[in-house]
Amino acid sequence: MESLLSLPWFDFTISGVVIGSIYALMAVGLALIFGVANLINFAHGSVFTVGSYIGWTCAVALGLPLWATVLVVAAAGGIVGALIELLAIRPLNHQSRIAPLLATIGVGLILDQIVHIIFGANPRALPVSLPNLRFSIGSGTIGAIDITIFVTGVISALALYLFLFHSKLGMAVRATAQDGDAARQMGVGINAINMTVFGIAGALGAIAGLLVGIYYNSIDPNASFEIMLKGMVAIVIGGMSNVPGAIGGGLILGLIESYGIALFGASYRDLFAFAVLLLMLLLRPNGLFARAHAREAEPMTGTFVTRAKPVRIPAWALVAGAVLIALVPALGQPYLTQVMTNALLYALAAMSLTLVAGTLGLISIGHAALLAVGAYASALLTMAGLPVALGLVLAAAITAVLGAALTYPAFRLRGHYVAIGTLAIGEIVALVILNWTSLTHGSMGLYGIPPLELFGIPLFSTNASYWFVLALVIVFALLQMRLLSSHLGRTWRAIREDTIAAETYGVASNYYKGLAFGFAGFVAGISGAVSAHQFSYINYDTFNLLTSVLILTIVILGGLGNVTGAIVAAIIVAGLPEVFRTLAEYRMLFYGMALLLLIRFRPQGLMGSD
Amino acid sequence: MTILSLTRRSFAAMTLAGTVAALSGAAFGQTSGEPVLIGVSGPLTGPQAQYGAQWKQGFDLALDKINAEGGINGRPLQYVFQDSQNDPRQSIAIAQKFISDPKIVVEVGDFSSTASMAASPLYQRGRLVQFGFTNSHPDFTKTGDYMWSNTVPQTQEQPLMADFATKTLGLKRLAVLHLNTDWGTTAKNLFVDAAKANGAEVVATEGYLPDEKDFRATLTRVRAANPDGIILESYYADGALIVRQLRDLGIDLPVVATGSVYSPDFLSLAGDAAEGVYTTVYFTPNSPRPEVREFVEGFEKKFGQEPNSFNAMAYDTINTLAAVMRQYGTTREDIKSGLGQISGFSSVIFPDVSFDPETRRVSGPQMTGLVVRDGAFTLYEQ
Amino acid sequence: MATEGALLSATGITRRFGGITAVDGVDLHVREGEFLSVIGPNGAGKTTLFNLISGQDRMDAGRVTLEGRDITNLTPHRIAENGIARTFQHGRVFGNLTVMDNVLIGCHTRLRAARSRVPVLAPVIEILRALIRPAPVRAEDAAMRAEARDIIATFGDRLTPRIDQPTYSLSYANRRRVEIARALALHPRILILDEPTAGMNESETAEMQQIIGDLKAQGRTILLIEHKLNMVMQLSDRIMAMDNGKVIAEGTPAQVRNDPRVIEAYLGHSSIGGTAPAAKSLTEGAQ
Ligand SMILES: Nc1ncnc2c1ncn2[C@@H]1O[C@H](COP(=O)(O)OP(=O)(O)OP(=O)(O)O)[C@@H](O)[C@H]1O
Ligand SMILES: [Mg+2]
Repeated sequence: MESLLSLPWFDFTISGVVIGSIYALMAVGLALIFGVANLINFAHGSVFTVGSYIGWTCAVALGLPLWATVLVVAAAGGIVGALIELLAIRPLNHQSRIAPLLATIGVGLILDQIVHIIFGANPRALPVSLPNLRFSIGSGTIGAIDITIFVTGVISALALYLFLFHSKLGMAVRATAQDGDAARQMGVGINAINMTVFGIAGALGAIAGLLVGIYYNSIDPNASFEIMLKGMVAIVIGGMSNVPGAIGGGLILGLIESYGIALFGASYRDLFAFAVLLLMLLLRPNGLFARAHAREAEPMTGTFVTRAKPVRIPAWALVAGAVLIALVPALGQPYLTQVMTNALLYALAAMSLTLVAGTLGLISIGHAALLAVGAYASALLTMAGLPVALGLVLAAAITAVLGAALTYPAFRLRGHYVAIGTLAIGEIVALVILNWTSLTHGSMGLYGIPPLELFGIPLFSTNASYWFVLALVIVFALLQMRLLSSHLGRTWRAIREDTIAAETYGVASNYYKGLAFGFAGFVAGISGAVSAHQFSYINYDTFNLLTSVLILTIVILGGLGNVTGAIVAAIIVAGLPEVFRTLAEYRMLFYGMALLLLIRFRPQGLMGSD
Repeated sequence: MTILSLTRRSFAAMTLAGTVAALSGAAFGQTSGEPVLIGVSGPLTGPQAQYGAQWKQGFDLALDKINAEGGINGRPLQYVFQDSQNDPRQSIAIAQKFISDPKIVVEVGDFSSTASMAASPLYQRGRLVQFGFTNSHPDFTKTGDYMWSNTVPQTQEQPLMADFATKTLGLKRLAVLHLNTDWGTTAKNLFVDAAKANGAEVVATEGYLPDEKDFRATLTRVRAANPDGIILESYYADGALIVRQLRDLGIDLPVVATGSVYSPDFLSLAGDAAEGVYTTVYFTPNSPRPEVREFVEGFEKKFGQEPNSFNAMAYDTINTLAAVMRQYGTTREDIKSGLGQISGFSSVIFPDVSFDPETRRVSGPQMTGLVVRDGAFTLYEQ
Repeated sequence: MATEGALLSATGITRRFGGITAVDGVDLHVREGEFLSVIGPNGAGKTTLFNLISGQDRMDAGRVTLEGRDITNLTPHRIAENGIARTFQHGRVFGNLTVMDNVLIGCHTRLRAARSRVPVLAPVIEILRALIRPAPVRAEDAAMRAEARDIIATFGDRLTPRIDQPTYSLSYANRRRVEIARALALHPRILILDEPTAGMNESETAEMQQIIGDLKAQGRTILLIEHKLNMVMQLSDRIMAMDNGKVIAEGTPAQVRNDPRVIEAYLGHSSIGGTAPAAKSLTEGAQ
């Protein structure tokens, strides 16, 4: 290997700063919203996308000059931001703290889909003529647009800083951020302020979309989540609500990625981003630039779960329901049976997630990682010659152990940080699968996974595999309910309600979180493993972030912690798109709406949280 | 996954219904009786939706012609398009639907390897031919003897591209950037083997994620390896991003990209940076072959735009299946055995369509070298 | 004061928050069966001191021993296993758990049959026992429930009729009672009560004082933080007064009540809400 010193470090630094200023631009808006509304705005990436397409409409379709385009984009972004606050966030003021976060996910889906429907999925060019200045620096060049992006980031951070600390409204914003009640007593209209802030952040996000679109001369409707994640990593580095810190965080992230690529190559880029995210959450949750490690006066763990009032279904009804479901193949429609098999596999995954997110209160947005671990474990073991039955069990056990071990870093996190942390863990698992080529065949995926079979009895016929999965669902649902009625259920709920108080009464919370993730990992592992044998081919993307979000939607729909709820909701969520096949193009839009309305009008889910 | 080159999708071609039985207007004049149904499983919504839309353009054009010529021995040929969103969970459900519907005589799709290969065991057991035309994954046809494909296999495409880079252009030290997907990795491996066999050296290979936008750091790393030419195993969108950033970094090396960049969108996305980029393609509307002329003219008339290779592959697929059905019959088994026997049929992409009964793939595409000059792909002449 | 033979000994306890030193070199010793109260104006550092002893916070300096065993800076659950139970000034019941389940969490450290100490396999065994519920587990559960019912009954008919209701539906005073019941369920060697009557009206306070008096009569070792000095004077064997993180006086109720530094500390803080009556009752008590 050549000497590390001989690498063009200066050029890598420039590359890092260029991409870092894009991250910074995203991060500023996220930090602002987090500072005031104490919320990670998952829709921010979608505002970015909306901005880029409005920019395209103005600059390319209408041929407006750049300055007018910027103005329109800023105004439109501001309006979108304010509307998000008005329609999706404000009504949730008095609900659990996770509700607005989930609402922003729903809004993001909706915005992306609208863009998708109007403009199509193809990337578009965004040719805007800027002064053709290019400066040589190192062995490359940077252009006017790179500098514009950087300067816009810094100016907006500066302007925000001045606004926050030297204007009356800004003071009020900060007062709101620190103490909503006090601000209200001071006569500050908290709603007006939140709306202002979302508006400003929206304008910034939209301008970011425009500038980045011009920079790459390419905009596409699928960029939202990726760019928002990078912005999120940046604010975690900079300190969640620290606006100037966000700029620093963005640049640091850009540099880390660039140096990481220098040393290890391009396909490790996101691995670095998410590893940094996780490390920051663990070691410096207040950001690199926070002064001292501040501790809350009386640490509040609080609960994400609204007051529990589960709907109790009589046992006979449950049995009747199970019998009806078991009779689905009798309808003689293999297609329907297959759809129901999918639904039941989702139900297993949702039962697993509802245990940790609902019963234990750790909202995970990385649950697909457990499915992936189970799928790969069983696939690799059986391809190496183990019988499928043994493969399934071992895969589940491996997922149980790995599930507890992998999520262990998230155990000490609280509130929204758990959501971000698990998201990072989920992405890291996917990227490790992608890059660990010798074990997982990397991007080629695993092909030729043996079909389902138990002790020599083949189960791959549509009906047999359906009943097999149904049996798994029933067995694990009963086991999970039995656990919930034991001292473990009580202990898990106590941890969810108030971790500090539970610890004070002798509950080793990390151990019990580990137990829950162990059991949940077992169930998720089975679900993933069965899927792998059904698909016969899997790759790192088979269980992706969207799968995680879908499972979480199921869990919320069913009612956090509610086992029967998870099953019912899985059937609805996996089955509805089939019913609504005619909606086709509007299907994802429909999902987003459903998520949003649900959180708004029935946050405890269909069956109530438990 | 597949070999791409695209044009902006036309809204007109997108209907809202997920299930579309394509009934071409002219068809009723000449055909009658029970229609012959092809089941299509592919993305109409989701991130890959544009490909499904392009398929439909190719299908519809082919059906216009086939049904105007009397369909399948008098019966109209139609297709049923089920939206899978390119998701394996949905493609296996769709497989169940098609297998259990006796009216479906052959299945076409799905789009990606993940979605297609998840359904393959079902089609194999259900004894329904799964005909993939965007499935270049080397294992796609290996699930069983009901998996057939007329995708140009990378095993044929990549060596031809390597010949072009090393022999025609005389490049010696190559840096390969590839999408880190099954498609990109397979392409890269095949290319690297062929290039090395031709005596060239591969000084760097870099895999990147499909949603990657920023390549400055990667390209800085590539430059440090001191190559004399850059090979892109990329789609057109990421390919465009790469060539733009190459030029920003002041890297002025020749670039050879796979045929996937052959698309007007590549030119508009890459802008000036596209000048001088080489590519090798097996479909170009400029080709003088009569099959190509007929296709291109028909397509432009019907859709008001130039076809891309997706349109061409979709068009070829329906024509190939129609030829098989006309000659060997319309039962599921007829089609399976017919695919193994057909020969002498000339399609847009293959001058002679015939399947190797072992691999169940077609061979013998013709490659054309192109280079971007004055903002357009032009035939490369030495 | 003899530190020998003390059940709980804390020496040199110090905790700084940024600039301020909330607890500054405090020594505290409690004998078996003793009732020690800690008083002091708002912000004196009382709660912080107890947080350090029971593990909710980590001290910057100092040492805590329980029967000679070092328990300095152990995690809260280890300290609980050592027999220290506490209630919280602002009340921390598990809102969505029933009264019964809240109290049963108090029993957690005493679960034997349900839990396992086998190395490595303990998690698996614990889950399996919860699923299979062999006889010993069921017996233990029944015993704990019976005992919890008895503890709950100490509070008369305040809690018993609500035993299966979630605690978020209870009144403020009842939630405080649940906290004490939960602490008692731990069978604590030392019971720490942080302002158990905060927010209660006079009759509720009297009722609570009665209960705490009964606990004392059972010979329990109790540490109490309280602003209602009448109650402190009547219950305590010994009182420790704090101000600005330091111990300013220590001794019998009579000694502390007459200590001019104590009176001064309270009067000096009289502008702070809630202390004026305390100062008043202090001076009243001194007459
Ligand atoms: N986590 C913390 N971070 C910063 N300062 C703290 C923290 N906890 C307590 N303090 C400060 O330490 C000092 C002592 O607080 P503490 O709560 O121990 O007082 P107290 O005697 O219990 O008062 P009260 O009678 O009001 O309950 C106060 O100045 C308080 O502001
Ligand atoms: Mg206190």
